[in-house]
Amino acid sequence: MSIAAPQRTYDTGLPIRDDLGAAHGEIAARWSRPGTWWTGEQRAEIVRQVRAARDHRTDDGGALPPWVQPSGIEGLVDADGPLPAAAADAVWRITNHPGTLTEDWYQSIIDRGVDPLAYVELVGLVAQSNCVDRFADALELPRIELDEPADGPPGREGAPAAVKYHWVPTADIKMPNVIKALSAVPAENEALFILSDAQYVPMERVRGDVVSDRNSLTRPQIEVLAARTSKLNECFY
Amino acid sequence: MDVSYEAVNGSDGGDGGVPHGALLARIAEAMWEGDATEMAAARAALTDAAGADVMVDAVAVSANFHMMTRVADGTGTPLDPGTYDMSAPVREACDLNGFVSRRDPQGERQTAQGASN
Repeated sequence: MSIAAPQRTYDTGLPIRDDLGAAHGEIAARWSRPGTWWTGEQRAEIVRQVRAARDHRTDDGGALPPWVQPSGIEGLVDADGPLPAAAADAVWRITNHPGTLTEDWYQSIIDRGVDPLAYVELVGLVAQSNCVDRFADALELPRIELDEPADGPPGREGAPAAVKYHWVPTADIKMPNVIKALSAVPAENEALFILSDAQYVPMERVRGDVVSDRNSLTRPQIEVLAARTSKLNECFY
Repeated sequence: MDVSYEAVNGSDGGDGGVPHGALLARIAEAMWEGDATEMAAARAALTDAAGADVMVDAVAVSANFHMMTRVADGTGTPLDPGTYDMSAPVREACDLNGFVSRRDPQGERQTAQGASN
C-alpha cells in the first residue's frame, strides 16, 4: 500500500500527526471513487448514510432502534437514491448497533438482493467512515467533505473467496480472523491497514509485538482504549 | 507492571495499573456517548494530565476500534481458535460472554455462498 506525501487534512492547532492526517485524507478520497462492487456515487452515498445514521435522533433523543429499518421511514432514505434500500438499512444498523448483528440479519440483507461481496465492501466503507468521522467529531473538527463522485464502473476485481469461518466470503489467507474479514475485497482490506497503521499498531505487529509503545501512548494505554471502546460497542471479538 | 481490567470496565473503576487508565477510558466513553460537553471535559482532563499529543492519539485509537468492531461484527468474524483459551480470563473479568456478538471458534462452514460476482 502507499499513501501520498503528508497532506493537511485538518486545519487545527491540535497536534495531529502528519501520517494520521494523510491517512484520513487518502481514505476519504477513495470514498467517492469507483470501488470493487459499488460506483463512486454509491460509495459516497454509503458514507452520507453513515453520517445520517449517526446524526439522526428519534423523539426520545436516541438513535433509531435496531429493529426499525430507515428505508421504511419517510424522509430518512431517498427511495430514488443510488443505494438499494437493503444497503441503506445495513449501513444504519452496522453504524448504530453493531453489537446486535446476527447471521440471520446478515442473511436477510443478502436475501433482499445485496451481493455478498458488495456487502463486504459496504462493511469496509461503513467502518472507515465511523472511524474517520468519530475522530473529527471527538475533536470538534469539521468532518472531511466528500469529493464529487468520480465516474466509472466498479472494478469488480475481488480476490477468489468462499464462505469458510465468517458469514461473508473470505480469501484463503493465513491471518487473524478479523484481518480476513474483508479479504474478499482487497481494496477495503488495504484501507483498513492504512487507518490501523496510523491510529493503532501496524497490523503485522498486532500480535507479534505486544510491548512496543506507539507514538505518544504506551502499549498498555493503547489496549485500554481498544478494549474499552470494543466493550462499549459490545464486540465479543 | 501489574495490569488489571478496571479501566476496561469503566472510567470509574480506577486506572487498572495503566498510567491515566481511567482518563483514557473516559475519553472512549465520551466518544461512545457523543455528548459534546462531556467530550470537551474528557479531552481537557486528559490533556491536563498527559498532554495534547496523548489526547489526540487516544482519540485516534478509540476511533480505530469503532472501525474494527464494525468490521468484526458486520462480517460475523469468529474468535480465533488460538486465542480462545487464552482470552477466557479476560472474557470472564470483563463480562463479555453474554454478548450477542459472541462467536466462538468453529469448524469450516459449508460453502453455501461463493464469490458470486
